[in-house]
Amino acid sequence: MNEKKIIELKGVSKSFDGELILDNIDLKIYEKEFMTLLGPSGCGKTTTLRIIAGFVTPDCGELLFDGEKINDVPPYKRSVNTVFQKYALFPHLNVYENIAFALRLKKTPEEEIYERVEEMLTMVNLRGFEKRDVNLLSGGQQQRVAIARALINKPRVLLLDEPLGALDLKLRKDMQNELKNIQRKTGITFIYVTHDQEEALSMSDTVVVMANGKIQQIGSPTDIYNEPENAFVADFIGESNIIDGVMLDDFKVRFSGHEFVCLDKGFGKSEPVDVVVRPEDVDVVPVEKGMLSGIVDSVTFKGVHYEIIVTINKFKWMIQSTDYVAPGQKIGIYVEPDAIHIMKKSEFSGMFGDYSSFSDELEHLSDVTEEEE
Amino acid sequence: MKKSNKIYTALIFVFLYLPIAVLILFSFNSSNSTNSFAGFSLKWYKELFSDGATLLALRNTLLLAILSSVIATVIGTLAAYGIHHMKNKHIKNTVLTVNNIPMMNPEIVVGISMMLLFVFVGRLINSSTTLGFGTVLIAHVTFNIPYVVLSVMPKFKQMDRHLPEAALDLGCTPFQSFYKVEMPQIISGIISGFIMAFTLSIDDFIISYFTIGSGFETLPIRIYSMTKKRVTPDMYALSALIFLSILILLLISNFTGNSSGVKEKKPVTLKQKKRRRIVFAATFALIAIITGAVLISTATTETVVVNVYNWGEYISDGSDGSFDSNKAFEDYYSKVLSEERGHKVKVQVNYTTYTSNEDLYAKIKSGVGGYDVIVPSDYMVERLINEGLVQPLDLNNIPNYKYIKDDFKKPFYDNGEETYSVMYTYGIVGIIYNTEYVDEEDIGGWDLLWNEKYSGHILQFNNARDAFGSAMYKEGINVNTATEVEWRNALNELKKQKPLVQSYVMDEVYNKLESEEAWIGAYYAGDALSMIYNNENLAFYYPKNSDGEFATNIFADAMCIPTGVSEENKKHAEAYINFMLSEEPAIANAEYIYYGCPNTLVTENPDYIEYLGEDYDVIYDSDIEDNIDTLFSEYAYRNLPTDKLALLNRLWEELKVDSSSFNGGIYIVSGVIALGIVGFIVFCYVRKVRRRRLYWNTTPKTK
Repeated sequence: MNEKKIIELKGVSKSFDGELILDNIDLKIYEKEFMTLLGPSGCGKTTTLRIIAGFVTPDCGELLFDGEKINDVPPYKRSVNTVFQKYALFPHLNVYENIAFALRLKKTPEEEIYERVEEMLTMVNLRGFEKRDVNLLSGGQQQRVAIARALINKPRVLLLDEPLGALDLKLRKDMQNELKNIQRKTGITFIYVTHDQEEALSMSDTVVVMANGKIQQIGSPTDIYNEPENAFVADFIGESNIIDGVMLDDFKVRFSGHEFVCLDKGFGKSEPVDVVVRPEDVDVVPVEKGMLSGIVDSVTFKGVHYEIIVTINKFKWMIQSTDYVAPGQKIGIYVEPDAIHIMKKSEFSGMFGDYSSFSDELEHLSDVTEEEE
Repeated sequence: MKKSNKIYTALIFVFLYLPIAVLILFSFNSSNSTNSFAGFSLKWYKELFSDGATLLALRNTLLLAILSSVIATVIGTLAAYGIHHMKNKHIKNTVLTVNNIPMMNPEIVVGISMMLLFVFVGRLINSSTTLGFGTVLIAHVTFNIPYVVLSVMPKFKQMDRHLPEAALDLGCTPFQSFYKVEMPQIISGIISGFIMAFTLSIDDFIISYFTIGSGFETLPIRIYSMTKKRVTPDMYALSALIFLSILILLLISNFTGNSSGVKEKKPVTLKQKKRRRIVFAATFALIAIITGAVLISTATTETVVVNVYNWGEYISDGSDGSFDSNKAFEDYYSKVLSEERGHKVKVQVNYTTYTSNEDLYAKIKSGVGGYDVIVPSDYMVERLINEGLVQPLDLNNIPNYKYIKDDFKKPFYDNGEETYSVMYTYGIVGIIYNTEYVDEEDIGGWDLLWNEKYSGHILQFNNARDAFGSAMYKEGINVNTATEVEWRNALNELKKQKPLVQSYVMDEVYNKLESEEAWIGAYYAGDALSMIYNNENLAFYYPKNSDGEFATNIFADAMCIPTGVSEENKKHAEAYINFMLSEEPAIANAEYIYYGCPNTLVTENPDYIEYLGEDYDVIYDSDIEDNIDTLFSEYAYRNLPTDKLALLNRLWEELKVDSSSFNGGIYIVSGVIALGIVGFIVFCYVRKVRRRRLYWNTTPKTK
């Protein structure tokens, strides 16, 4: 990856109607990077995108483009283009004219416009659609037109605001691949906003997890998954058991009334910590061989594995296992040292990671609702 | 069920469109009767297009409608844009509500308040003529704006709110974004707003009436002011044409954009858009052409303007190939002034009309100004002189004054040392009766109107002064000095007459008598003659009282010059008055108006006498001529003192309301309906509360 910074946000804050939406954001975006802003609705990810696009002016902080401050540069003077959530195609223009729009504004010669529009149409597999009425296209086709329209200007950075939100699952998967291919081919920096963690992990070079107007963690998809920085990230990305624990010493942690060996160090002696154990990293063993033991509450068949909820020391663990155990059965569990991830206590401690209810699922459902500005 | 539905729908359409169908039918009637269709003819359309004043009013109306709707569309669209982009929802809703208020507000309130504002501002900037084209234009723009906003706003709401952002994102400046991206989305709203503003402006009477000044007349005002005389069938032709144009406009507006959101859900294809764009371009091209033509036709050189404010249909106006008195004055006076000043001077008569002395008085009194010559009736002249609202004339500038008959030179209303007025016309009330039904022995006096033989076929004035007048003349009561007891006596007479009366009428008298629906009615001699012309069974006489003396109302309309007119304009105004007294225009006007003329140049002219034929002896009845002095001094209506006026109005109301079970019935029916509605609302509310009672408090309020 090219290490040249293209966009930088320094201490950017923004509030609407007295409500703080962005709280002192620092973010660096590099050339040719595919960066995803990930978070639940209301976390400020769309606002961040709109600040970069120029539709929103930050209350304080600096927005740098190639090292120059562009806080007050209007959107039409930024070499940034946007793909909108609902495409925002111009209903009074056909496919060709929609894509040619930006070039027409620049008074580009017709021959060049034709060439570039055709090039774009080829890229998004829409050749032959030139004269079509955009109002009569399917969602996926409109999406492609929107991408072609935004890319024809050869922007340095392409902003995508939940572009696949309105598509059905199958089409979304196809478009994910296509977007990734387009990004590789063009080498344009993509800043992608989504609340879908799977989409974020599978497409991005860098994932920025946001919550409550703050950046919780920046890192590669594997870092974010394996080394979550706090309970929020751990819970939002994949499934996690997050247990209160105490760091006894380097490589030694105590939770659920048991001492465990781990690979983490550098915490204070007897410092309270959050311990993350991913459900797939827990092995089900006979009671006598287990480090901990408990009674199985429920078992759900999920296809690849069973999802087992076990109560251990009043805490409900989730375990993913390919072996079936019956509810009510007493089982032991075993956790490898490298499966234990220790996090510092944060404002999110105690809010996530317990599977005693399905509130988590409900929260995900509500995430699908459209994000307000 | 389906059939009854269809019949019901058909009935609604019949109710809605039958009157218009009749109007259009009669606009092709070859006679001017409203009772029978004599045959197909385009005569009235021809007449319409040869009537200069009406065409001028039409031009004014179109110019006003186009300018006001274009300005209102621009302002309204920008306003809608501004309101749509407001961030604070409370302010937005407030502004929208404020925008809606003028539409709910009665027009009369808007009209009066505008007039007050204009006069007030005019005083502030010390302008002598405040009302004019500018003010009525401002007024029209003002009442049109809310309609434009209302028709553009939904289009903004329907538009994807990210569209302008997408445009900015792709490199549009905010202005480019507006006209390249937002305009095409809201254009159908703009067009329908424009068309609505245009039709409202063409249609408007009330607001125009209050804010219009001298020298400018719109079509609705002109039509309305024709009520002194009869509405002629060329107005049917005009109304038919206006109806058709509005119909076409509505069709266009339906074609360009339906404001019903249901259909709009279906995506509008580009083909439809293209079609709309063509219609849009055509509409605006048309408007541009009309505006251009109108503007070119109003290019001017040095111009002297004389503003004349007269009754409707009260001058020979060139229709039907007749003499155009105003035009003739323009030509004549332009020649005079050009010779006097040594260069070409254009003279322009701005001729506008009113319908009652009270309207005229209100305009003069309110100080809107700008009128050089006015033509009030006798008692109003007296009042204007008393209040100092008219100025003395310089008779040296009006040499033709000498042709006025001596009897008419010092009438009761203007018999001081100075001369304030020159009589224009006079008329005497007589009784029209149908010779087929009315016995000759019964005629002669006012008691014919009280004759029980003709019960149900008698018409009485629907106007307090005239109705009481008829009773007072009959009873020998002086109409100007009557005591309260005498007024009450007159009321008793009217009450006695009431069961015999078919209806109380003003202009409907023509139709009722011509169609023989009624047999007896009182009206002015000239009008009576035109009724006799249409129905030969009708006859006319001047009523006498029990002493065998002529006892009937005489009125005179006289030309005056208001006080505010400047020295120079006064000279022009006097020239106008003088010209109207000269032979050709005076005869043309007298022939057109068909009332009595005080000008000897007219009454002694053989052509005029020949033109009137038998009618001459009716209008200038020698017995009546001998008694003109007495009629004026004894029987003409004077300005009543306010307490008597109030009494008159009270008594008139008493007469109209008294024992009229029908009116009472209406009150009772309305009361019952209102009570029924209130009862139903209460019933619904009680039912709702009772249904809720079972669960409202039992279910927990939290989810």
